[in-house]
Amino acid sequence: MPIERTYFWGIHAVPVFYVLAALSVVVFLFGVYRRVSVWLSAPRGRPRRLGFSPRGAAMVAADGLLGRRLFRGDLVAGLMHALIMWGFAGLFVGTVMSTVDHWFVHYLTGGTYRVFSLCLEILGIMLIAGVLIALVRRYLFRVGRLENKAEDVWILVLLAVVALSGFVVEGLRLAGQAPATEAFSFGGAALSRLFSTPARATAAYPYLWWFHALAALGLVAYFPFSKLFHSLAAPVNIYLAPQSGRFSPGAEAGEGDDQAASGPQFQFNELVSLSACTRCGRCDAVCPSASAEEPFSPRSFIAQADAYSRAVAGSAAPLGRTARHLLGRPAPLPGVPAEQSWFCTTCRACLEVCPVYIGAFKPVGRVRISEIEEGSGVSPLLTKALETLYTFGNPWEPSKRQRTGWAEGLEVPDVTAGAQAEVCYWVGCTTSVDTRTQKLARALVRIMAHAGVSFGTLGQKEGCCGDIARRVGEEGLFEEQADKTAGIFRRYGVSEVVTSSPHCFNLFKHEYPAGAVRFRHYTQLLDELLGQGRLAPLAPLDAVVTYHDPCYLGRYNHVYDAPRRLLRAIPGVRLVEMAHHGPDSLCCGGGGGRMWQELEGEKKLSEVRAREAAETGAQILVTACPYCLIMLEDALKTAGLEGRLAIMDLNEVLGRSLGLLGDEGG
Amino acid sequence: MDIVVCVKNVPFTQEADLVLEPGNKDVRKDNLAYVINEWDNYAAEEAIRLKEASGGSVTAVTVGSEEDEEVLRRCLAMGADRAVRVDPGDVTLDASVTAALLAAAVKPLPHDLVLTGVQADDMNHGVVGPLLAERLHLCHAAVVNGLSVNGSTVEATVELDGGQEELCSLPLPALLSVQTGINEPRYVSIMGIRRAAKIDIEVASPDSLGLFSADLTPDLTLEEMYLPPETGAAEMLAGDGPAIAARILAIIREKVGGSNG
Repeated sequence: MPIERTYFWGIHAVPVFYVLAALSVVVFLFGVYRRVSVWLSAPRGRPRRLGFSPRGAAMVAADGLLGRRLFRGDLVAGLMHALIMWGFAGLFVGTVMSTVDHWFVHYLTGGTYRVFSLCLEILGIMLIAGVLIALVRRYLFRVGRLENKAEDVWILVLLAVVALSGFVVEGLRLAGQAPATEAFSFGGAALSRLFSTPARATAAYPYLWWFHALAALGLVAYFPFSKLFHSLAAPVNIYLAPQSGRFSPGAEAGEGDDQAASGPQFQFNELVSLSACTRCGRCDAVCPSASAEEPFSPRSFIAQADAYSRAVAGSAAPLGRTARHLLGRPAPLPGVPAEQSWFCTTCRACLEVCPVYIGAFKPVGRVRISEIEEGSGVSPLLTKALETLYTFGNPWEPSKRQRTGWAEGLEVPDVTAGAQAEVCYWVGCTTSVDTRTQKLARALVRIMAHAGVSFGTLGQKEGCCGDIARRVGEEGLFEEQADKTAGIFRRYGVSEVVTSSPHCFNLFKHEYPAGAVRFRHYTQLLDELLGQGRLAPLAPLDAVVTYHDPCYLGRYNHVYDAPRRLLRAIPGVRLVEMAHHGPDSLCCGGGGGRMWQELEGEKKLSEVRAREAAETGAQILVTACPYCLIMLEDALKTAGLEGRLAIMDLNEVLGRSLGLLGDEGG
Repeated sequence: MDIVVCVKNVPFTQEADLVLEPGNKDVRKDNLAYVINEWDNYAAEEAIRLKEASGGSVTAVTVGSEEDEEVLRRCLAMGADRAVRVDPGDVTLDASVTAALLAAAVKPLPHDLVLTGVQADDMNHGVVGPLLAERLHLCHAAVVNGLSVNGSTVEATVELDGGQEELCSLPLPALLSVQTGINEPRYVSIMGIRRAAKIDIEVASPDSLGLFSADLTPDLTLEEMYLPPETGAAEMLAGDGPAIAARILAIIREKVGGSNG
């Protein structure tokens, strides 16, 4: 007997198999078409430029093929995924190779076939091992972040059935056929010894063969209708991640339309990301809102937004239209999680841990845009803040004249009054108006003067950058503020801007049209001054401090080291880290427009953070953002930490060490 | 149901440092921001909600200059179908003249219900609603903080003094002046206002409305406007806890008058 692969051993209805196989492929392709047509239903269709992105490709290799982020923080999950993915993909390739061998080029013979069958054997065992780990994690150890739906058990059982029945079929054939090459099919060979006689094995073979074939074809057909579709969607999403890492709404609610679009208008990249989710729950585990038991969960939000967009795209598709026509009524659309969307602080923690780069804050932003256009779901406090911003150029005070009140008694050159300055200091609304954060600005101005920086502000002409408008989905107001601000920069020849707030900085840097202005956060300027030896002499401050990374400085702009370098430069300061720091930092609860929401959860986000800081034993919690400063300072009182912990802006710490804040007492 | 809602663009005066015009007949307004009168915002929201619930139309009407059309565009963005601006030209406005202009503008419009705010934030007369009802010969209720329409009548909850409320039923057509807090007005987006800019605003003048100068004579003459006299400033207490407490006690005794019980 030649050493080669046996096909359709004792199977007579081979054409029936091919008809069924073709059917399952058709169902598979139809399912994929359905999912992809949801992506293409985006208002502006697919992105105009789909050129090759080397960075995207490298990320697909690292995060898709190697599953880099899957291993991070959860080795077992990474291993489980690698075993299933490579087992499944390898067996798929093996099946294709066999088909070629059987119908086209007969090459699986002799040594080649021995290696081939050995590989398939190993891949099958990998798949079974992966599924076993998954089942144990999910149903025995009950890993907390996993939610168990019917789909989850079905997919695992189906994978296990396909793989196991494959071994049984092989074993039956080996028992019945007793070929010389069985040593390489060790799995099937081991099973073959269980079957009593060759005759019985031969008789049972066709039944098991058909069972295995139907299970495998069923899996193929089911694939695009289940979370397994992530195998196709996730690589696309990872590939697009470098260009869609930032939320960049378009003017889809634009003036061109006479009617406001009803419902959120998810864009191509967002729709891809919604379909790439496997509900692994890593986002929920790090979401500050979900962790504080608020009624928001990034995972459920993604799932609901996906269900909604699939229903909308489905009812608009030809088939959906026909169905509606026949039924004579529109199918009810699943709800969009509009109320929950206001809980998201847009802190980006979900994106940081997502193995396939889904950021819930992006679809959240889209839902908010439609909520703002609809209008009646906007909270009274936010309504007031936006109307104040529209009328008075800041979200806090119904007056334009308090803009420079913070600088009373200080020498602050006004660029709009003809002062020459290299650096334009953008104070920002909150920093200008709030009595606590004004100290941040006063300290920074003194430090810049001390270091001999040529700086000035825009005085009364400074308005709002528009960040709050953009974060809450008020696109028209954002555009107005951005146009005004960019116009002022142009008019006064501003080329270098330094901001108090990471929020203004991030918006300027990433969401304003690219221009000639260089934008930096003040920590970056101070870090530069430190490097040039201009922050001297730094007097000792005997204190244990911990540093809170603001989301829009850290996760959004990767500025983690500069603030820490500045703190470590002060003699006597001992920097200790909180449990969550750097990319894992925990949001203070003030971002994403939460400052202007009356939302109450089980725990206050800011108190959670202040308690974590207190646990380090630090005396001072240092931050570098006016929102964080306000939120954490308030939390001190309610969490009963007053006297144990002080909240200071980095400017205040440096100003004190430089001996510049004698009369401020700060 | 066809609803007419009367709205006004008013200067925002909270936290503004008011300055009088020379001649002391008016406040300097060129440095003030204008917003929709707070009461009218609630009236407009109520009108839109009624339309959304049971169909019909909403027409927003204002008396003002071209710049005041902003308030009408806001109403259109909220969901009003039509907007009419009565340009008073150089006519001197008081509550009675405003009511006369509004009455002439509202009369030809379909109206089962006319809504106004209780008062306007600038002059605070609080009578344009009732005066307008008289001129249109409509039943009316003032200071309404809840309403529901049942067939040919409207049930209105009227706010009385001392937390009392009165429930009354008025035959339609009727006029109600709406109190703040009757609802939670929706947010009106900038995009919405820009879209509404495409709807034409109808403009009327005293002439086109067939009004003569006799109809447009103010009942009131403004003699003088002045800033209220400054009252005593707050006293900031300094010192340590016990000293502050002692001072507070002394102040309370002084105000309450004697007995330390």
